[in-house]
Amino acid sequence: MTPVLKAEKLSKWYGNILGISDINLEIRSGITGLLGPNGAGKSTFLKIAAGQLKPKLGALTVFGEPVYGNPRLFRRIGFCPEHDSAYVEMSGRGFILLLARLHGFAGAEAAAKAEKALATVGLLDSQDRLIKGYSFGMRQRLRLASSILHEPELLMLDEPLRGVDPLWRIRIMQLIKDYGKLGRTVIVSSHILPEIEAMTNEIVLIHQGKIFAKGDIHRIRNLIDSHPHQVSIRTPHPRQLAARLIGNDFISGIEFASDHRGLTVRTNQRDQFFTHLMSLLAESGVETEEITSPDDNLQAVFDYLIGK
Amino acid sequence: MKAKRPIRILFRSFFSSGLRAKRTRVFILLALVPVLLMLAARIMEGVGSASARDVAGFFGHFMLSLYFQLLIPVLALFFGTSIVNEELDNKTLVYLTTVPVPRRAVLLGKYLAALLLAALLIVAGFLLCFLAASFTRLGDAAAWEELGLFLGTSLLALFCYSALFTALGAFMKKSILLGLFFVFGWESVVQYFPGVTQKFTIIHWIKSLLPIPPGQNSFLSFQLQPSPPLQSVLTLLAAGLLFLYIAVFIFERKEYILSDNA
Repeated sequence: MTPVLKAEKLSKWYGNILGISDINLEIRSGITGLLGPNGAGKSTFLKIAAGQLKPKLGALTVFGEPVYGNPRLFRRIGFCPEHDSAYVEMSGRGFILLLARLHGFAGAEAAAKAEKALATVGLLDSQDRLIKGYSFGMRQRLRLASSILHEPELLMLDEPLRGVDPLWRIRIMQLIKDYGKLGRTVIVSSHILPEIEAMTNEIVLIHQGKIFAKGDIHRIRNLIDSHPHQVSIRTPHPRQLAARLIGNDFISGIEFASDHRGLTVRTNQRDQFFTHLMSLLAESGVETEEITSPDDNLQAVFDYLIGK
Repeated sequence: MKAKRPIRILFRSFFSSGLRAKRTRVFILLALVPVLLMLAARIMEGVGSASARDVAGFFGHFMLSLYFQLLIPVLALFFGTSIVNEELDNKTLVYLTTVPVPRRAVLLGKYLAALLLAALLIVAGFLLCFLAASFTRLGDAAAWEELGLFLGTSLLALFCYSALFTALGAFMKKSILLGLFFVFGWESVVQYFPGVTQKFTIIHWIKSLLPIPPGQNSFLSFQLQPSPPLQSVLTLLAAGLLFLYIAVFIFERKEYILSDNA
């Protein structure tokens, strides 16, 4: 099967700043999650794929054609940018209708397409308001509407859940999943692993401008789960808690906080540790103020995976 | 999609949103300044502080200079450079470059909308000003002929300046400063150079079309060695078309980076 998107030795930099470097990637139909910390190169990759940037080296094709300077291709591509940008003097409906017309729809068909897209993202009620009166989340949903109104075969969404309220977060994730089920191709970027996990199993890990891993999310998850985690516990009785934890195999180290009001535990079995900690706290009644995992973020996981 | 339909769509959309824009309201006030000055001159004439001849001279010498050397180039500068720069500043260009429309259609649609907005402001202001200056000779055909000539020249000037500043805006992000330097530096100084040099300004060709008798008291005719009218019209049209072609050429090829990229 021909890939929908194909990147070969793709590189892009801005002056001395590296965007992406030597990326080889094929994306087929279905949902692909583009996962990486902020500044990893996700947006640069998507902007090249959406014809907004020219590759410095290498090539990127969509449906077998180069994208940059090829406007015909945009009948088949939808792109939701990450920026909070809009024509604030237009109404939501005016903006979507303008894009529908530019996509080649006329009259009643354009109006129907605009209405459907606005209904999908829940903006029908506020469609006649000027965009400058929209909240951040509403503008994010409007951007999503702009990318789906022509029902593209390839939909690229750059951080589509940023700033969206929890209810709409779930709805948008469902919308993306439904879109993928129609046999279309969706590329969705995020720096939050659970977001991607909720939408797809197929992920591409991107870090420092390079594709770091690609494949099934479970394989990546296993790597992440064996990552030695640190868990910080704020408690007035750190020594009492440490004494109860120290004998367990899954604990590789304990450090006390300098203010004597907490401790940091290192573990190789994150899930097992948390199960044990919760039952221990319940049984012993040791008072706790806060439990945090300072490295429970994507940057820490990447640092671990690349062996920093 | 052929270019004609998207040009029409973009023209309509950006013209109507341009009418509502804050910037346009500011420019309406700016365009009203000469009208208010003209009315003030008329009032002074009415109370006997100025003669009818003084008022006519005020229109011929000062108001025309204000329009052709200040208002028209400045409006063209702000409207022309904003065609691309505003899209970059607001990061909205992405919406117009991810639709199946050639980039030239995007630029031309927006250019026509900006040109019409600027033209409406200039024509309306100029008309009011002219009426205030010439209401005693409204039955005189020569006055209307003169008005037609002023308006035609204004539109040609707007066309040419706007095309130039559209190209400048497509080429560089912070184009206003360079545009101001062009208007108040190059155009303001080089137009007074003797010989062929003054022909390297747009204002030379504009002034060559205006029915101003050469005289020491007129800003517009000072040091002017006018070119023939037909040559001036053709030069302004050709220059405008060339600038527009350059603007399209740049806009179609230039890569616009909308943010600090991640």
